[in-house]
Amino acid sequence: MGGAQAPAMSPPAIKKGMGLVLDQIIFALLNGTIYGLLLFMVSAGLTLIFGMMGVLNFAHASFYMLGAYFAYTLEPLTGFWIAIILSPLLVAGIGILVERYILRHVHAHGHAHELLVTFGLSVVIAEIIKMAYGKFAIDYRVPVELNFAAFSLSGIDYPFYRLFMGGIALAMFIAIYLLLTRTRVGIVVRSAIYRPQMVEALGHNVPLVFMGVFGFGAALAGLAGAVAGAFYTTNPNMALELGVMVFVVVVVGGLGSMGGAMAASLLIGITNSLAVGSNFMLADALALVGLGAWAQDIGGLLTTRLSSLAATIPFFIMLLVLVVRPSGLMGEKE
Amino acid sequence: MAFRSYARGTAALALVMAAGTAQAEALKIGLVETLSGPQASTGLLYRDAVLYGISKINEAGGFGGAPIEVLEYDNQGGPVGAADRVRAAIADGADIIIQGSSSAVAGQITEDVRKNNLRNAGDEVLYINLGAEAMELTGSKCHFYHFRMSPNAAIRVNTVLDGMKEAGALGTNVYAINQNYSWGIDVQDNTVAAASALGFEVVEETLHEVNKIQDFAPYVARIQQSGADTVITGNWSNDLLLLMKAASGAGLDARFGTAFLDQPGNIGNAGAVAEGHFVSTPFNAEVNAEASSAFMEDYKSKTGHYPSYVEPAAVFGIQLLGEALAQVEPTEDGVDATALALALEQATVETPMGVVSMRAGDHQASLPMVVQEVTRDAVYKADGTEFGFSPVKVISAQDAEQPLQDSCEMKRPG
Repeated sequence: MGGAQAPAMSPPAIKKGMGLVLDQIIFALLNGTIYGLLLFMVSAGLTLIFGMMGVLNFAHASFYMLGAYFAYTLEPLTGFWIAIILSPLLVAGIGILVERYILRHVHAHGHAHELLVTFGLSVVIAEIIKMAYGKFAIDYRVPVELNFAAFSLSGIDYPFYRLFMGGIALAMFIAIYLLLTRTRVGIVVRSAIYRPQMVEALGHNVPLVFMGVFGFGAALAGLAGAVAGAFYTTNPNMALELGVMVFVVVVVGGLGSMGGAMAASLLIGITNSLAVGSNFMLADALALVGLGAWAQDIGGLLTTRLSSLAATIPFFIMLLVLVVRPSGLMGEKE
Repeated sequence: MAFRSYARGTAALALVMAAGTAQAEALKIGLVETLSGPQASTGLLYRDAVLYGISKINEAGGFGGAPIEVLEYDNQGGPVGAADRVRAAIADGADIIIQGSSSAVAGQITEDVRKNNLRNAGDEVLYINLGAEAMELTGSKCHFYHFRMSPNAAIRVNTVLDGMKEAGALGTNVYAINQNYSWGIDVQDNTVAAASALGFEVVEETLHEVNKIQDFAPYVARIQQSGADTVITGNWSNDLLLLMKAASGAGLDARFGTAFLDQPGNIGNAGAVAEGHFVSTPFNAEVNAEASSAFMEDYKSKTGHYPSYVEPAAVFGIQLLGEALAQVEPTEDGVDATALALALEQATVETPMGVVSMRAGDHQASLPMVVQEVTRDAVYKADGTEFGFSPVKVISAQDAEQPLQDSCEMKRPG
């Protein structure tokens, strides 16, 4: 860190430097945590749907995109707050229609067909969005009243909206957890996963439960889109951009595990953020055993900085998890 | 829509007329662009510009008395698709291949065209590169049948730095952050190379993955920590938008010098965040306002929108091609690519920005550049916002020109 001015520092400068480094680490952790929480918001619905119904929903990130576009459309009519409440409800409606009229018919034909249907759906949604809103990013932005710095550390402002997104994700996690473990609905839903026939025999409408879960999962993605679309960018590629990362999160966390999704999201968010801030390269590690000069000569991967590989780290983590523990960090299904 | 049916009409007319005269085949141009998928937005802009440019040539009589035909091929955004589509275009009788978006795709096409021409001496194909700006295309990969009509990384970086310096917006501590592939690396190298001449220090360089990063906050923290007051970046699309938004959110006090800030949607999405940042492009409608606005309005009447981003330079490139075509005679199967290439080296075209010509040494277009700042005073607003691009410095084609690269060993015919 700050390699250029490292030598010949006076003691106060060193102290100031230490403070700076500490601030940097705090920022990196905070950034990573918030990004992780955003990943959780989207992957929660995906892992919930998979856990309940065994459907790997390729169109899930499309629901995220729909949430952003709906909120953008509604904002001028209703204001930001109502828009981010209505938008997930609309997405839930679409999710319910998709489950009722598309997935249910395909379900009998097995998982491959479900995958293909949801994949096709994601393409259709992206194309419809392009037709309706154009091919470029739209001007969906953070509302002015929320666009301020929450606090400032060594000259860097921390946007309040990031904390706001993190807060919503945490509230979402707690709400889902309580819903599944503390309510009658939660009991019916959880039992419908393991023994659908028995639950049906007890007089519960299992298809209705599945439809509800699918709609709820879609709504979670929609909420994430409505909130995060304003902060990042809302464009026809946003589903694609986030979609891959969301799948990585769900695989690392364990398909169907809510806690696993949370753990994996935070793990990926924080490692990514720390990696970006680091100058570490493999040659540094080899220098410890006296091979530094040799590694510098070889170059290539040995002298590539960790920071320029940051976006590949999640995939590396996924690979590692799949090798060591194929069911994911907290997954039960093999 | 109207433009498309118009273009189709011309193509149909071309077929009828070709059948009528039945002696020489109409000249066919293969447009191998990204017409579908996530990166299609830019490819479709190139398509509009090419169809507009060719329709102008056809209005003036076409080539050899017959209208030029544009055949469209979708390269689907990748080199693999492009290789396949180039083969198809050549098989369909295209004498000229046109492409613009993505240096990765261009690297493939230029090699394919070079090899095709080695195998088919006497029946060569010309590759008109409308916008792939990586240095290698006029450097180690240069060849006689490749022509770049757009600026390149060296021109972009040096002109934007020059303009920022003159506007007093270039600080002494510059941070270079770029995408990790040929284009981004070129931008970084040129930024570093310009440091001593312009009196700044490159405090840090960062390369990151292309269009994979959602959260730029950690990168901005790094920029902040480096003490940079200026950021030079070749980033485009989401990588540029997210970087600027994260910088603004963190209260980073640094000016951005960019190459692609004028992509449609950027200003609309970034809003006030983009104010005060710079971009260097081959066109600004406020320069030479009379001629420029005539071009703007004519383009809009044909395509339905004002030319922006890559479109003006692409139109100028097609005009240059038109000038060269006027100097050569049609042959039985279209055009002699070697004669056309020689004519292109001599061609010049008067655009609203100044004279555009082609450098014979490496087939890099020599074109005027306009350094612009995002302000509220701009005449033409971007994306329906209150912001637009105000010119701060017009750099003539001679001054914008960058030295030939030693790596270019062009084998000339004969």
